[in-house]
Amino acid sequence: MALDLDEIAAALALGDPDAFAWWLARAEPALRRSLATFATHIDVEAVLQESLLRVWQVAARYQPDGKPNGLLRLAKRIGHNLAIDAVRRDRTGVRDFDDADDANTASIEPVEPDPLLRQAVERCHAELPDRPRAALEARVASGGASPDRALAEALGMRLNTFLQNVTRARQLLAACLERRGIRLDEVWR
Amino acid sequence: MTAEERARLVEQAASAWRPRDRDGAVRAHPAWYDLDDTGRREAFEATAEIRWIEASLDHEGLSSTARAVLAQIGRER
Repeated sequence: MALDLDEIAAALALGDPDAFAWWLARAEPALRRSLATFATHIDVEAVLQESLLRVWQVAARYQPDGKPNGLLRLAKRIGHNLAIDAVRRDRTGVRDFDDADDANTASIEPVEPDPLLRQAVERCHAELPDRPRAALEARVASGGASPDRALAEALGMRLNTFLQNVTRARQLLAACLERRGIRLDEVWR
Repeated sequence: MTAEERARLVEQAASAWRPRDRDGAVRAHPAWYDLDDTGRREAFEATAEIRWIEASLDHEGLSSTARAVLAQIGRER
């Protein structure tokens, strides 16, 4: 059966942050992909975070329209509109993004986390050398709360060393996953 | 820009940390502005990869993007 994130709409209407966490885990990858067309014009990470905050603000008033994943479709529209606003504000647009753009009209589907892929990542993560693993874990533990300079200082690393270790962690994980038949550059697409 | 400088900027832009303006709105990472189009595309792809890894390692399936948003709404402490 297809995944319909609107099944937790009632909990979201009550302002349940745990329900929103459940929704985020399944909606974020698709929403990020839907903004790919803007990647050279805007900082997608910033626009995505702002979009998700606005989704939380409107979630309590959201009324399902009878079709699956209505809130996800609304989130996509919010993200797309914020992205267009940012392009116009920064005047960096070399093409005209509008409501008829493919990125806004294409369908969007949530993603249920795959336990087998998850197991493979956990095994590869356990094989990482200490310093790349520490750098990656610092990023995860921070949850976006601290800039890299602060995370590097906490680990006793220079910023450059910290960044090199994060890159190394990603490369080693990609190589390990590829040995298990998983292409990191494809799984998120 | 050297390949090393670009790689450093790409990795910084792939973090979930973002500055906020006076009204609390999320702003672009300073490193992102220093990237050319190729670097920005690389940063987008590196971010998508690392978020997928983060979510796979998290017991709730949440990436650092999701955690940053949940912190803003007061769920994370």
